[in-house]
Amino acid sequence: MTSSPSLWVQSFVRAICLGGLVGVVSIGLAADAPPKVEKAAKKATIIANAPKPMAPGAVLSPSDMAKRIDGHVGALLSQDNFVPSPQCSDAEFCRRIHLDLTGKIPTAQEALSFLEDKSPNKRETLIDKLLSSKGYARHMADLWQALMMPPSIENRRLDGEPLVKWLEKAFSENKHWDDLTREVLTATGPQDENGATTYFLANSSLDKLTDSVCKLFMGVQLQCAQCHNHPFNPLWKQDDYWHTAAFFIKVKAQPPRNNKDTRIPTVAENNQPPNKKALPESTKKLPPKFPAGEKPTLTAKEPYRPAFAKWITADANPFFAKAAVNRIWAQMFGRGLVHPIDDIQDGNPASHPGLFEDLATQFKANHYDLHHLLKAICLSETYQRTSKPYQGNEKASAHYLARMPVKVLSPEQMFDSLSDLFTPPTTGQDVAKADKVEKKADKKADKKANKIPAKPGTAQRNQFLAFFRGEEGADQTEYQSGIPQVLRLMNSPQLNSPAILRNLDPRATPAANIDTLYLAILGRKPSSSEAAKMRELVVKADKPMDKRQAYADICWVLLNTSEFALNH
Amino acid sequence: MLSQLLSSGFSRRDALRLATSGALGASLSGWMPVLAKATASAPAPAAKRKSCILLYMDGGPSHIDTFDPKPGAETGGEFGVIDTSAPGIQISEHLPEMAKQMDKVTLLRGMSTAEGAHPRAKHLIHTGYREGVGGLSYPSMGAIASAEIGNPNLPIPNFVAVGRSQGAGFLGAKHAPLVVNDPTKGVENLRPLVSAGQFDKRYDLLEQMESAFLKEYQAGQSADHKTTYQRAVEMIRSKEAQAFDLSKESAETKAKYGSGRFAQGCLLARRLVEAGVAFVEVNLGGWDTHENNFDRVKNLSAQIDQPMAALLADLKDRGMLDNTLVIWMGDFGRTPKINARGEKPGRDHYPRAWTSLMAGAGLKGGRVIGKTDEKGGTVIENPISAVDFMGGVCQVLGIDSSKWYQTPIGRPIRVVDKSAKPIPGLV
Repeated sequence: MTSSPSLWVQSFVRAICLGGLVGVVSIGLAADAPPKVEKAAKKATIIANAPKPMAPGAVLSPSDMAKRIDGHVGALLSQDNFVPSPQCSDAEFCRRIHLDLTGKIPTAQEALSFLEDKSPNKRETLIDKLLSSKGYARHMADLWQALMMPPSIENRRLDGEPLVKWLEKAFSENKHWDDLTREVLTATGPQDENGATTYFLANSSLDKLTDSVCKLFMGVQLQCAQCHNHPFNPLWKQDDYWHTAAFFIKVKAQPPRNNKDTRIPTVAENNQPPNKKALPESTKKLPPKFPAGEKPTLTAKEPYRPAFAKWITADANPFFAKAAVNRIWAQMFGRGLVHPIDDIQDGNPASHPGLFEDLATQFKANHYDLHHLLKAICLSETYQRTSKPYQGNEKASAHYLARMPVKVLSPEQMFDSLSDLFTPPTTGQDVAKADKVEKKADKKADKKANKIPAKPGTAQRNQFLAFFRGEEGADQTEYQSGIPQVLRLMNSPQLNSPAILRNLDPRATPAANIDTLYLAILGRKPSSSEAAKMRELVVKADKPMDKRQAYADICWVLLNTSEFALNH
Repeated sequence: MLSQLLSSGFSRRDALRLATSGALGASLSGWMPVLAKATASAPAPAAKRKSCILLYMDGGPSHIDTFDPKPGAETGGEFGVIDTSAPGIQISEHLPEMAKQMDKVTLLRGMSTAEGAHPRAKHLIHTGYREGVGGLSYPSMGAIASAEIGNPNLPIPNFVAVGRSQGAGFLGAKHAPLVVNDPTKGVENLRPLVSAGQFDKRYDLLEQMESAFLKEYQAGQSADHKTTYQRAVEMIRSKEAQAFDLSKESAETKAKYGSGRFAQGCLLARRLVEAGVAFVEVNLGGWDTHENNFDRVKNLSAQIDQPMAALLADLKDRGMLDNTLVIWMGDFGRTPKINARGEKPGRDHYPRAWTSLMAGAGLKGGRVIGKTDEKGGTVIENPISAVDFMGGVCQVLGIDSSKWYQTPIGRPIRVVDKSAKPIPGLV
């Protein structure tokens, strides 16, 4: 079953050579003060600064892996004479890691208690806490639901909630990535019993499914090969596409056909040859065979998917671990080590090839443990750098990671952060009332969207996401909003009456209230000059109404800053 | 050949990128289409920017019961026909005002497209590409016009949609439609919630914070954020934004367009084009007449007849018609066969043969291109596919169809697919 096509071997050999070459004369990490030498000599030193190759079979702890990350990144930085930015402040770290791991900004209370925590390893404590939080599982489920069920005309009737629930459970258990992938790829049965089947229901045509599987789980773009040999990637021939697709030819996915379709959407194995009409026009009928690999022995009666799931998650598959590592890296740094994220191929090398290999190797060695990988990244100096420039390193392009790349809040992160700020007061009566109002709004919105309501707030959220969604497959590091989005943020009544404003303590000092607003919205306290300026606004106002207006002004300003809209 | 490519809106950087990736070779060996040549031989576009108003008939209007009548045929239906201001051209008796404007109109009676389901058909006719092909999300006509012929310095967006529309796909939020749901209310959230003076104070404070953050972080995203806010605030304060305010229009003009949402949409479209907007789409739903086709089409005809005719006349009177392309089209046509499933007869989806309409933008009027057979079921002269149609629209608007877009997946995509054939005699 395991296959070792010559191309994989080639790329491994190449990788080993590269790794070996880079690590030949390692003499420690780049953290030491750079020696004052001529440029040419300096280059030599740098090569020496890259980490030694890992011993075969080594299993590193997250903190050791973090050091390797910094070693690789440091080597490239010093090679091109860039100085890394210093460590970010506690406030920056707290906000950043909340957004990256849980998809929303910290509450004022969370931010304040982290800032006031005096323990030396509070950052590691926070990493662990967030990785095991519900927010993490929800955020990861949200990210993967969006990937596995792309919004399209066909999917407008399909309920994504069963998939979200399934993924949430998997991520909260920290299910190993290979196990999760196998379970998704072989998912069968009614959607309400196995939420993972949603993946097949949402990609019910053979070409969409094949594209998606290759993209999400192998990090390769095969869609071009549907109709012709891949123009830039000689590895993927048109035949490879249809050989791969053949593993899914027996899947019978029945998404809802129309609004009146009340059957439970179901995925089944179908042993009949599929109706030709159901297949894409360009279909080439070929037997199942692994891309650039061997042809498995499969009988006509057995399902084909388990063989494929086993092959794709095998340690010998050089794409599987890399694809996952690259996605996680992009989640944390805004772009993959290989960019675009799903274009892993020889012609498109990683920014840090040695690091890419090491991360993939360790991901495998740690049995595809996402917590381990994420913790290693979060512990690294590279991740914990400020995004402010330092000693001319703003000239370094983002892939050097001289400073933390600035990411733009995704529509999801924006909505979830805002809805926390807008959460009504938490007395029992108020909650019930708010629920009622929200449910009513949802019903209306759901009716409009022609959908069965999934859970309270979902329709509102979906509308917000649809309105703010940028260019497809957009770079997280690019600002995507246009005028309509900005108008809504500035002038919509819904976004201008946050609970945080109503909840300010009228007896508290202006300074304390301003601190609360800054902590809640920006996750930090105001600088002394900001505090003075904002305080003046409040103090200048005589009447209570004018004071409220002043706080509303401050709140409006903070919510509309790029500091709020960006993850820095 | 390379210099030709470079001079046709194809940037040097794109060319280099393609050359190094091997795609340019492909384009040199046959990807240069007939259409690009046709465009090249067409007269140079006038210096004035062109604009476009798309009147979109959501659901798919019956061609036989509107602009391609078949009097006397078994498939002809219940309506009579009338002569028009264009000699030899007859249309439905329920479009009397439009009949007076036909001297300005080119009817395209050879539309023949490949999608018969609403969502996919709407996508195809708006973008010229089949939905999802190549794993991409494609920009609609309005987004392309915004990107290609929109005035980048206009303080309001270059693509405005009154009602439903299709999005900007891979061209992104900058070219996405600004949606106006109710023409009498204008743009959502255009007005600040506080007084102008208070808003200025807030915005001033915001600008201070933005500048400080930008200075400290030197992040391009922050600069983009600041610019977008500046553009939005410029729009709020601009005189162009008043174009969204229909109350500024005289009672006399309003009366010419008539009443109803579609009429108001047409009037708004004219105001916006006058203010410099590149593309306005006005949507009218209800054309999916599987049942009770004749009562419904009669009623819908009454909804479009006066406003559309008023729009063409108004554009002409204001000297804007020569620079404004008006398009009338829908998802597809409807079956010649009249079904008897429901209580009252209906017509079903029919992409194989249907009619669209173009007027203005320097096109000759009073003519028909393309022809269907005596039943209205088969195109027997000059068939126009969805791709051909997109090519035609671009040609009329002065958009280079052969320009390549770089897409997020790295695959270059032409504004209009290379398979587009020129529409004979259109320009």
